[in-house]
Amino acid sequence: MIKTERILHLKSSRGRKVRVVREHYLRERVPCYSGVCQADCENDGKVLSGDLTHYMVPDAGVVVDYLEILEFRELQGIVFTQTACQAVQHSKGRRQYNRLRNLLKDPRHDCVLFANEFQEYSYCPREKGESQEKWQTRSECVYNAAVWYYNHLAGMMDIVMITEDQEAVAQYSSLNSGVYVISVQDYFQNFWPDLQAAHELYTSISQSLQEKESEGKEREYGEHLPAEVLEAGIKSGRYFQGTLNVSKHRAQTEAYIMMESFSNKSTDMTSILVHGEKNRNRAVHGDVVVAELLPKSEWRGKVTALMEGQGEVKSGEDKLLPTGCIVGIQQRNWRDYVVTFPLRDGTQSQSRNSQRILAVPWDHRIPKIRISTQQADTLQDHRVVVRIDSWESTSLYPNGHSVRVLGRAGELETEVQTILIENCIHVPVFSDAQLREMPVISPEKPWEVDPVEVTKRRDLRQSHLVFSIDPKGCEDVDDTLSVRSLAGGDLVELGVHIADVTHFVTEGSLTDLEARTRATTYYLADRRYDMLPAVLSADLCSLLGGVDRYAMSVLWELNTHTLAVNKVWYGRTVIRSSFQLQYELAQALLNGEQTEVPELAQLGSEERSVKLAQLIQALEMLTRVARHLRAQRDRGGALELEGVEVRAQLDEERNITALVPRQPLEVHETVAECMIYANHWVAHKIQKTFPHQSLLRRHPPPRQEFFSQLVETAQAKGFTINTETNKALADSLDRAVDPEDPLVNRLLRMMTTQAMSQALYFSTGAQSPDPFYHYGLALDKYTHFTSPIRRYADIVVHRLLTAAIATETGAGAGKAPASNKELEEIAHHINSRNRAAKRAQKLSTELFQCLYFKDRDAQKDPCCVANAIIYTVRDDGVLAFVPEYGVKAPVYIKNREGQVLVAAQDGSCEWQSGSVRRYADRITTTSGCGTSTFRLFDHITVRISVQSFRCHASRLNLELISNMPCHSTKPQEQHSQGRVQLVQEVVRLAEEAYQQAQEEARRRSKFCKEEREFCQTKTPNLYTLLEEVRELALRDLEPAPQVCATTA
Amino acid sequence: MAGLELLSDQGYRLDGRKATELRKVQARMGVFAQADGSAYLEQGNTKALAVVYGPHEMRGSRSRTLHDRAVINCQYSMATFSTAERKRRPHGDRKSTEMSLHLKQTFEAAVMTQLYPRSQIDIYVKILQSDGGNYSVCVNAATLAVIDAGIPMRDYVCACTVGFVDETPLADLCYAEESGGVSSLALALLPRGGQIALLQMDARLHQDHLETLIEAAMTACKGVSKVLDDVVRQHLQEVSMLTGE
Repeated sequence: MIKTERILHLKSSRGRKVRVVREHYLRERVPCYSGVCQADCENDGKVLSGDLTHYMVPDAGVVVDYLEILEFRELQGIVFTQTACQAVQHSKGRRQYNRLRNLLKDPRHDCVLFANEFQEYSYCPREKGESQEKWQTRSECVYNAAVWYYNHLAGMMDIVMITEDQEAVAQYSSLNSGVYVISVQDYFQNFWPDLQAAHELYTSISQSLQEKESEGKEREYGEHLPAEVLEAGIKSGRYFQGTLNVSKHRAQTEAYIMMESFSNKSTDMTSILVHGEKNRNRAVHGDVVVAELLPKSEWRGKVTALMEGQGEVKSGEDKLLPTGCIVGIQQRNWRDYVVTFPLRDGTQSQSRNSQRILAVPWDHRIPKIRISTQQADTLQDHRVVVRIDSWESTSLYPNGHSVRVLGRAGELETEVQTILIENCIHVPVFSDAQLREMPVISPEKPWEVDPVEVTKRRDLRQSHLVFSIDPKGCEDVDDTLSVRSLAGGDLVELGVHIADVTHFVTEGSLTDLEARTRATTYYLADRRYDMLPAVLSADLCSLLGGVDRYAMSVLWELNTHTLAVNKVWYGRTVIRSSFQLQYELAQALLNGEQTEVPELAQLGSEERSVKLAQLIQALEMLTRVARHLRAQRDRGGALELEGVEVRAQLDEERNITALVPRQPLEVHETVAECMIYANHWVAHKIQKTFPHQSLLRRHPPPRQEFFSQLVETAQAKGFTINTETNKALADSLDRAVDPEDPLVNRLLRMMTTQAMSQALYFSTGAQSPDPFYHYGLALDKYTHFTSPIRRYADIVVHRLLTAAIATETGAGAGKAPASNKELEEIAHHINSRNRAAKRAQKLSTELFQCLYFKDRDAQKDPCCVANAIIYTVRDDGVLAFVPEYGVKAPVYIKNREGQVLVAAQDGSCEWQSGSVRRYADRITTTSGCGTSTFRLFDHITVRISVQSFRCHASRLNLELISNMPCHSTKPQEQHSQGRVQLVQEVVRLAEEAYQQAQEEARRRSKFCKEEREFCQTKTPNLYTLLEEVRELALRDLEPAPQVCATTA
Repeated sequence: MAGLELLSDQGYRLDGRKATELRKVQARMGVFAQADGSAYLEQGNTKALAVVYGPHEMRGSRSRTLHDRAVINCQYSMATFSTAERKRRPHGDRKSTEMSLHLKQTFEAAVMTQLYPRSQIDIYVKILQSDGGNYSVCVNAATLAVIDAGIPMRDYVCACTVGFVDETPLADLCYAEESGGVSSLALALLPRGGQIALLQMDARLHQDHLETLIEAAMTACKGVSKVLDDVVRQHLQEVSMLTGE
């Protein structure tokens, strides 16, 4: 034990100045974590690579102010000193420090921490009377460390210390110690001249730092209270803590604080209204804030009008909400924001000399951000990513700095990037290091199964007829099915085989880390971002037909007659899929139609018919089993939320893109049922083996108050909706069918879906068993197991299942792969990523809708006139749904000038001065010419136009042109047709649309290439995309009548 | 002080030690001539003085006399200047009384009291500077003082505190760690036989971790005993040199 005791620290704590003495032990050997270390340091964990030209040591000031630049993955060989890390912790708080810690832990970044303060020779003690900050920022500490590092590596690696302190540069560069001391700017210019992004970031940060020093003194907001006071206040019930949620429509004035914990049961408030900017006191959307309630006399009601500027509060006393003001902020949740620079005009020119600009964020809920930049002129129409640095009480707006430029506003690529960044989706290209982990495959040397590995697995290649059923053009086939008779027909063996992704993605590998960060494959309207590299997702893990693949299988032995489960087997297998079917093809086979199976085309006619008969028999057996399972679930769990839940579930199970809801063929349901069954059984298995450490998925029952709108709306049509249990809800939804208007039922189901709470992943150790229940599927336990290629949760479940099997056979130690805490963290992360993915998908769909209507003249183009249906009534307008395009938007009945819409005899509407009255189920307008009424579920005709904004996303605008439906719409005619015809029509339309889309996609890719080569305009390319969107939107309508028909 | 990072990702503690390392222990025996035995012990910045009188005949109430063994009388006190903020009452408060009781129990287990029936042994311990692990420092100092007094013991009594942070047991906590919300455990051990003289823990800890924690505490105590042994041997050498001349 070599120990020396050295130092005294001065510290003040708990308000009073107290002198505290702390020990500080120094040691001779501190690991350097360098690949070229000669002194046999105990370098376990991350090690700096040895084949670099130099190592870079940033001093404390640089780490504190310019950490963002150091986060570039291109920068390699960074040695963070302990002094610098502590400086970050002290001056920037825990969030920033955790960021640094994650950086140090992440194997994708080449940087290490050198504990210089515990090293005997590099430690430099604090001098008497020197303050903590001064000591930490004194460049000598870091310089000493750099010198030691240089000597430790015996001069084999050049060390560059970067600092912002010009004196230090002058002082140390003359010393001949082997360490180069240069400024940050010089460093990037000399060593990384190509890293343009870093240069820009540097200038932007340094400018905002300079600006910060010249701040005004005028107080704009109240000071925040110190943390101790807040803590005490929350405990005593005086203050309330929650997350700030700024209203989307009235971002200037309205915000709500959502309380997460019901700590004090006496007050049953769930949210507090914060009115105005002063009361909001510098809090930004998403922050965790602490608020104090205002006296009751200052409470306000909720504004229910659609339009801004009409916010007179008409509501009575009973509608007042608890209103408060924010007194402190517990945690900032600032992320990257996308902003647009304002146009230069007279008002801005005054502030030109200070180069400060108020940029308008894309998200309405974020306040304007003050940025200092010299590029304001060149970047006028561009979207730029910025970060907020601070918000002093003396400033009206937060200060920020720009990070990078996305591109010109309004361009497709820019807008898509904007959507990604606003949802914190970060999907860089897979790095070389990650791809190096993948098995190498080339056309000459295709990948083959390893014979050693095969012996460890159950071989199903000969014994089982395995096939997959997927949508057309599907690349990542992650599930296959098999079914066969056993024991002379007494038993049926049903098998679900899932791609064995975990075989290729070992835990902790770079690919695994990347997949965990992404958590899911992101599907946007026109593209997708894969969770796994294409080598895996489209080839090795994809269970393609005719090749050997590793799989994870669940095999059930069922009694042929009762279909009761006899035995279940879980395990790793090798399979070879014989048929890669499409849904349509499978359905055709089942229906007994004559179709061509591509896999059988080459065979002789005799052999072909034998194989075909086998396949059809298997499909029939499968359908029978699935029907039984479905019925069993209906009986046991009593659920028939068809149309809403099951379709949503289908989507969740196997969605390719949400823009293409699949035509509900029976075979869809068959496959989905098998998958649900597999998920259910796997959930059972892992939960049984690891009662406290397994990842399941639950769907909590919805809160009853969310149904109030649904119930009221349904009442307008004379239906009663019973929302007590899922069974009752499903039944009453089935009954709520208007024979004349199938859209009513669809709208009601849509509203039900909205009222549903979201299904979530969770770790079983963190919950009591009751809420394991899956409301939508009516299963007691559920998890996700069947799509490991595009969901990280499934990978986790696969690992759990592997461990469970190992425990059973006695091979493993019976230990869960991850602790409850880790799992809970993973589950939380995946949930938040899933939400982001969903939001991004929705936003991108809206984007495409807007782009589609943008180029059309709203007054002339017949496409812009559409049939709509009213589903909610507000004070000065209604919310309408346009089934043709799947658009939901407000329709104003009263405009800003106070005029109202009045319908004439023939239904056409025009603006006249008059008044509006709102009732529970209708809204009436009165003017000189008469009165007109708009009821819930009225069909109206609207004109769709695009309202574009410079800084925000464009929005679709609906204008009421008639209170009658326009008669020329195609779907109306179709409804009257017979069901069989309809199905065929739908299939044909879908086929055509799909082929067209395919063709266009092909054309599009060509265009992209040409565009790159010849810098062509994007217009034709965009056009094809939008055409595609239109086709898809058209198809969106078809399922509705079908669903109604099947449930009826 | 909730935000302190007690164990860094590199495995360093606040003061630069690793998880299993003890603070620096320095000790001297025979610091006072008047008393029968005395010792001064520093463990990091915690400094304690222990003085032993006896065995002598019972003083005060004779009713407490035990006929088969000696009575051990302990008193624990903290100097008013021992903490960062001046302490009002050096001894007699609840905490000190409890500590005295614990010391008494510990030494009743270690001292061979049956050799001195109807007599009394007084152990006075004073904390001069407090920086965590007061109990264990007192026990270690008192052990040296008892040895200095020449009272036979079964073995050295060595004590050490351990805390549990991030699934890792930390040996010999300092004040910053103790107050940082760590569940800590104090253990007094007779190292040669591995018998536990006292085990004290008043924090919440999962049952699964208790074993590892006790294991770590025993290792730490054995480390302390080695140091104490060295101190005693060196002291003996010095004394014998003096008397030898």
